[in-house]
Amino acid sequence: MLFSRIFAVLIALALPTAAIAETVQIQTAQGLATVPARPHRVAVFDMAALDTLHLLGVKPAGVPDRVFLPELKPAAAGGEVVGTLFEPNLEALSALDPDLIILGGRSSPKAKFTSRIAPTIDMTIDGQDLVRDAEARLDAYGRLFGREQAADEARQKFRAAVAAARDAAKGKGRALILMTNGPKISAFGVGSRFGWIHSTLGIEPAVTAMAAAIHGEAVSFEFVRKADPDWLIVVDRAVAIGTGDSQAHATLDNELVRDTKAWKRGQVIYLPAADLYIAGGGIQAMTRVLAAVTRGFSAAQ
Amino acid sequence: MTTVERTAPRLAGAAALLVLAGLCAISIFVGVGDVSPREAFSDPEALYLIAASRLPRTLAAILTGAGLAIAGLVMQTLARNRFVEPATAGTGQSAALGILIVTLLLPSASIATKTLVASLTALAGTSLFLAIAHRLPPTQPFLVPLFGLVYGGVVGAAVTFVAWHTDLLQFIEIWTHGEFSGVLRGRYELLWVSAAVLAVTWVFADRLTLMSLGRDVSVGLGLDYARMMQIGLAIISVVTALTVVIVGLVPFVGLVVPNMVSRLIGDNMRMLIPWVAGSGAALVLACDIIGRLLHFPYEIPVGTVLGVVGAASFLWLLLRRPSHA
Repeated sequence: MLFSRIFAVLIALALPTAAIAETVQIQTAQGLATVPARPHRVAVFDMAALDTLHLLGVKPAGVPDRVFLPELKPAAAGGEVVGTLFEPNLEALSALDPDLIILGGRSSPKAKFTSRIAPTIDMTIDGQDLVRDAEARLDAYGRLFGREQAADEARQKFRAAVAAARDAAKGKGRALILMTNGPKISAFGVGSRFGWIHSTLGIEPAVTAMAAAIHGEAVSFEFVRKADPDWLIVVDRAVAIGTGDSQAHATLDNELVRDTKAWKRGQVIYLPAADLYIAGGGIQAMTRVLAAVTRGFSAAQ
Repeated sequence: MTTVERTAPRLAGAAALLVLAGLCAISIFVGVGDVSPREAFSDPEALYLIAASRLPRTLAAILTGAGLAIAGLVMQTLARNRFVEPATAGTGQSAALGILIVTLLLPSASIATKTLVASLTALAGTSLFLAIAHRLPPTQPFLVPLFGLVYGGVVGAAVTFVAWHTDLLQFIEIWTHGEFSGVLRGRYELLWVSAAVLAVTWVFADRLTLMSLGRDVSVGLGLDYARMMQIGLAIISVVTALTVVIVGLVPFVGLVVPNMVSRLIGDNMRMLIPWVAGSGAALVLACDIIGRLLHFPYEIPVGTVLGVVGAASFLWLLLRRPSHA
């Protein structure tokens, strides 16, 4: 009796201090960071983070004015607008008084300003190993917000989606990743931001000598014809940045591309561009991208 | 006129044509697909590539270069100032604004509609520029290009502002960075309108020469000044808008080429027009070939190459100025 009373007093004494002092060490784009655990008010300036946090059931207190993807609207719903995807509004952010600010990619250069308002973590995902990075972020958010179990479940489902895409693409031939931008195209190789499609999914590249340019290389349609891939994997940049209907098909539908094996056999996979380009690395967005890959390769004769 | 005086320009003309023809030949044989000069006319594969890709690209570069150089020449005549050109003094930016407006209001508009709207906004933008430029004191010739830069900057800022608010900032880049990598048979033919505009310029060559003497003198010599102003504006706007819509903004050609050529052969338009058109064509074609080769098999936009080449030649122009002026 006495023993348990002492114990209760001890816990009562320890609780408030524990709540203040409890921190967690997580992996960020800038290396390991120690941040306060289970923050209540979080401002998020990264679409991939918004996507993964939504999956874990974390509601952000502050969000950018536009989320670009209709799928992300519920993730941002209820959050206060505290800037744009590129530029946090420091006054609004300060008024929000968050416990933690999550930046990534497009907003990451602003870290030195936002860190004066609240602890800031840079969760940029650079794309060369997108699947590994996406999992690392999932794991970090799980531990940060005490949602380890949800994160574990999400990881298992995500790994299954990766495996499904890998199996679907296995032995189906060589692919060339193209991004269309209006009437122009760029090709992406193993070292690019879409390189994980080759390295993680095991899809053989049609052009092996591609330089490691992260943003791809501008190429002509002659280049595509010469590469003669079995598959074309297409990302429409115009759609990704929200300019309406996809014109990727119209851009590629010309006599030089029509000569490729990929076009002749109808083996052209259009990836959900915004999922990849804007929310690339978010677990739900990535799952949709992987599903598109699986569907595309499974449809092969 | 003695025979010597007659043959010298002809020889120069023949040499220049040879250079242009040589560039065309190089352009036909430079690309990712395999087209070797030996098999060019026997191998059906090579013939096909030439017809579908190389020839259209070569022609597009020639039409763009010739058109922009002439547009620059006409603009310099109208503004009576050597240091203005459509790409920096607001015409190109106005055309981009037109494209932006069409994209916002009629997202599915055809290339022809885009060109028409871009031409109209280019016309409006250029008219305003010239109207203001003509009010600047002629005693201070550098005010006009300075004003042109500011004006082009303001219109460009308007484009950026609208694009930023509508999240089209990266989309508008397609038209602000000139590039020929997307040119194929069936995707550039509208540029032939530039050739027609060139013919119109040739018809009005003598009247343009008169115009360069200034309003009072040219009116005194019987020129319908206002009419010529309208024709000149139309030439500049149509060529610039066409180029912006089909290949994107290409800088420096309209500035550097007319200046260099008129320095060499004088100010008679009848003589200038073919030389300016030919040199513009050669410059753009050469820069496109360089852009295809430097980073083979990938592409460097012609605008980037021209930026470097053009800036260097413009510096040369400025530094050489005192010895002539």
